[in-house]
Amino acid sequence: MNIFCDECKKNIATVFLTKVSATEVSKVQLCEECAKRMEETTEAANLLAFLPHILAGLQGVDEDVVEEVLPGELSVCDICGTSYNDFSKMGYLGCADCYQAFAEPLGMVIAEFQGSEEHRGKVPGNASEGALLRRRLVELERNLARQISQEQYEAAAAVRDQIREIQGRIEGASSNGR
Amino acid sequence: MAARSPVPTAGDWLGSKGPGYPLVLSSRARLARNLEGLPFPGASDEEELERARGMVLESVSRGVAEERDWEILFAEELRRDELGIMAEEHLTGPSFCEEPAAKAMALGPGKAAGVLVNDEDHVRIRVMMPGAQFMKAWSEADTIDNRLEREVRYSFDHQLGYLTACPSNVGTGLRLSAMMHLPALVVTGDIGKTIAALGQAGMYVRGLYGEGSGVAGNLFQVSNRRTLGRSEEEIVTEMDTVVAQVAGNEKTARKVLTRGPGLDLADRVYRALGILERARKLGFNECLELLSMVRLGVELEVLTLRDFNLLEVGAAVAPYHLGEALGVEAAGEDVDRERAVEVRRWLDL
Ligand SMILES: [Zn+2]
Ligand SMILES: [Zn+2]
Repeated sequence: MNIFCDECKKNIATVFLTKVSATEVSKVQLCEECAKRMEETTEAANLLAFLPHILAGLQGVDEDVVEEVLPGELSVCDICGTSYNDFSKMGYLGCADCYQAFAEPLGMVIAEFQGSEEHRGKVPGNASEGALLRRRLVELERNLARQISQEQYEAAAAVRDQIREIQGRIEGASSNGR
Repeated sequence: MAARSPVPTAGDWLGSKGPGYPLVLSSRARLARNLEGLPFPGASDEEELERARGMVLESVSRGVAEERDWEILFAEELRRDELGIMAEEHLTGPSFCEEPAAKAMALGPGKAAGVLVNDEDHVRIRVMMPGAQFMKAWSEADTIDNRLEREVRYSFDHQLGYLTACPSNVGTGLRLSAMMHLPALVVTGDIGKTIAALGQAGMYVRGLYGEGSGVAGNLFQVSNRRTLGRSEEEIVTEMDTVVAQVAGNEKTARKVLTRGPGLDLADRVYRALGILERARKLGFNECLELLSMVRLGVELEVLTLRDFNLLEVGAAVAPYHLGEALGVEAAGEDVDRERAVEVRRWLDL
């Protein structure tokens, strides 16, 4: 087994890539230096080196496929002005809306690189309800202390009611698991 | 853990021993997030970058730092050598040094946790732990993420998850890495097989300083490539399994080394020690190679030496760290001379 870089044949290869072209699947191993020389940044470089055929616009793939995908490549994101061509050169999208604007060609890139097109992890707002309530409780207790020290008793009474209500909800939340 | 000094020179995690030591030196969890309604940093203008930085830093000070002291650093206010020192301690990547404009770093106590602002993505949460502690590193990053998320809205898509500037991070935005010391696999030549297997298993393998650095000191960074289609816990489990396998390979190679006469372990180790003891000038990579061999000798009981942590000494003899001790005017040769002195001090030679 050769451990050296395919490019310089001198350094130990640490970047291991599978190149997929229309006709063959080949493996390339590179040292960091050579990998770096090939592209500016490694994260984008990994993507570019991993998917050269897709990013280059499916050169060498059946003509009809190319025609199908081509409109996507010429497209420009209305929100940030990034074109699919910019992305395929640099490896970076301009904004969140680019994911919609380039949905079709980008979907293929994502499917091949990630081996999936469906998020199965964390979802925002998933911070546990109990944690959110406890945080609110701390704020209210702080308010209460301030109001009492400033002799604002009416306001303090209202805050005390809110605190009771939240304490009740925290108990409810903890008996329901999260 | 008690801090050695009010402001530790390096992160506490850097010199600590965790599970899997000495094969697994450290773990890192990184989450990539972006703010809703703003273009990604690479496509943002100055004003948008400033807005993003303000929003993230305010969320950090309101949501994350309320009970603890976090230090906030504006990249463009830092000197080149200060940026270099941070990179050498694995706190930032090279882009933070090279284009500091509108970037910032919020650093938690002991430098173990940090929030990097306006690098490739608006938010990069980073947690370091000694040894192999991927679940702990992820859950700490998750906690910080939850706290930030109460203050800001992230770009999120129900199909694709968290949206990132590079689709290689989309989904969970979670990249876990292990810093592994694998000298026996390199000496026996079996490292190639291990790296090939890691590549096939969907893992990245990089050198000590990640992006764009060569391999030095037989230190390898192993990380997950895929961030989409699996839960964070599944990514953690995968890392646990893969890292344990690589550590197993290194252990096997160490057995081969101690038994195989052709590889002459003792000769290699003592030659390395001899140079460290006597050399008056040492290059950084050379120094790491020698330290790695000596470390292997200590671990395989070929020689006894004062205990040292390869990552900690590695950072201490890195160019910017030595440059700081010598003053700004120090040239390459002076640094190499200082390195030879400094490494003998650490090893008590
Ligand atoms: Zn090379
Ligand atoms: Zn866009």
